[in-house]
Amino acid sequence: MEDQALVMKNVCKDFKVLNRHEGLKGSIQDLFSRDYKTISAVKDVSLEVARGEIIGYLGPNGAGKSTTIKMMTGVLEPTSGEILVNGKVPYKNRTENCENIGVVFGQRSQLWWSLPLIESFKLLRDLYMVPQQQYEDMIELYRSLVDIEPIINKPVRQMSLGQRTLSDILAAFIHNPAIVFLDEPTIGLDVSMKDKIRALIKGLNKEKNTTVILTTHDMGDVDALCRRIVIIDKGMKIYDNDIEHLKGYFGSYRTLHMKLADDTWEQMLIDEKTTDVMQVITEKQKVTKIKDIRLEEISTEEVIKKIYEGEAV
Amino acid sequence: MEKKTRGFSFYADIYRKILVQDLKTKMSYRADFIISTIGMIMVNLSGFVTFLILFRNFPTINGWDYYHMLFLYGFSLVALTPVQCFFDNNWNLRFMVTSGDFIKYCFRPVNVFFYFMSEVFDVKGLGQLAFGIGTLIYAWAHIGIPVTALTIGKLLVFLLTASLFMIALMNAAAATCFWIRNSGYVMVIMFRFKDFAKYPSSIFSGIFKFLFTFIIPIAFIAYYPSLVILDPDNVPLLSWLSPFIGILFFWLSYKFWMLGVRKYDFTGS
Repeated sequence: MEDQALVMKNVCKDFKVLNRHEGLKGSIQDLFSRDYKTISAVKDVSLEVARGEIIGYLGPNGAGKSTTIKMMTGVLEPTSGEILVNGKVPYKNRTENCENIGVVFGQRSQLWWSLPLIESFKLLRDLYMVPQQQYEDMIELYRSLVDIEPIINKPVRQMSLGQRTLSDILAAFIHNPAIVFLDEPTIGLDVSMKDKIRALIKGLNKEKNTTVILTTHDMGDVDALCRRIVIIDKGMKIYDNDIEHLKGYFGSYRTLHMKLADDTWEQMLIDEKTTDVMQVITEKQKVTKIKDIRLEEISTEEVIKKIYEGEAV
Repeated sequence: MEKKTRGFSFYADIYRKILVQDLKTKMSYRADFIISTIGMIMVNLSGFVTFLILFRNFPTINGWDYYHMLFLYGFSLVALTPVQCFFDNNWNLRFMVTSGDFIKYCFRPVNVFFYFMSEVFDVKGLGQLAFGIGTLIYAWAHIGIPVTALTIGKLLVFLLTASLFMIALMNAAAATCFWIRNSGYVMVIMFRFKDFAKYPSSIFSGIFKFLFTFIIPIAFIAYYPSLVILDPDNVPLLSWLSPFIGILFFWLSYKFWMLGVRKYDFTGS
């Protein structure tokens, strides 16, 4: 148990939702109604994450990702099942759990809006009671991983989205937590900023052996950071293994790119078991001229898409 | 992992640090600072002028003369300062709850209520404080209340009491947003109610007196506490009890607020 940063055993979460009625009469009825229906957001999820591991926690919108994250961070209590974060039950002692986790939401800054970044860092140092030496070492580490000079004295409100995300990630590590939860950290960022953020996460994970639970819709994040992915859909865990394994499963799939006469690229996913690639090209050539051809292995993006669409694993 | 304890001195220290940083940034937006200060003075002046006009026409209200009423007015202004300065973020609560941004307050190893309130310090309350103190001293001198350690001590205790009631009222009103969607109205109504605090509760009768004493305790914001100083020979029991009732109301409102946090399912994200 000691080397597990996070353990979930048969965790379920139900929400009670009021059955709403239509119209004015219905609204009045709702005021006194005890007519609830139960919605299962998370069904029987078990999961173990080792120290220092980065896992990609994926799933379509509404799959139950955020609910799980909220249970892991101690904000929500599971309806049944057991969760241990750093060996402790998160919701039983929220404050204590918070000492050991860091959380970043891609679009919501948790820093003090009007304060320069360095002041936010100092306040966090005091909030988490981080020893001065440890704090200074951490800032030093930050300096070695990213160029923080342009943002360190800038108030958060004046930052670009990329700078703000970067700041939020740095802030989440300042108390050297055992686990960091990153919720879509690269959403809305340009390509070079995405690379920067990914490199930073990787660097911090390596240096501090921090466990990272990454939820994202960007497969670039997954490819750059995670070896293992967990996929959840309709509240159930449907996949939990190495990403390579998953690609192996779809090993017979190829992505065919064709540059057509009007210089546009057309893209097709082909299962070599059922379709012959050459035949597809020949068929296409009968209709239009093909200027260039590229054949690729299936991308992570397409693998995930296939799974979301319900192809068995 | 050693357990870290966070006591009163920890919270006081954190609050002071946040406050200093916040004031620094506020000062740096100079135009904003000056305009809001001027605005605040105008608001207080206009309130005061209304009060004067009223008293030109009614020299006494239910046995209360001009200076006693002025005392009550000043008392309520001072008593309303803490809620304005330290608990102003209550006004933002409902927006954060509906947008889902509120969740960020749950990820720090500190009390959620404290962390939320510490984020905003409203400087405008300070002008109101100065205005209130001025009025209070002026009325005090004219009524001829003796200045002794006892009267000053009483004044401070009962000012604090009065503040607790107003804070409790606003906490409770703000916390309704965890359950209902249009909680803005509840807050505005509560905030309007405070205007009644400037008048002696004895002008209300029957049902209103009961309502303003026990249900929405605005009679405690100025009337009952100030009687201790204005009419020391004739203090009703409720006045003596008000510090304890104040603490109770504050504690209840805090519990209600925290219950809202626990109950809130954070589906806004």
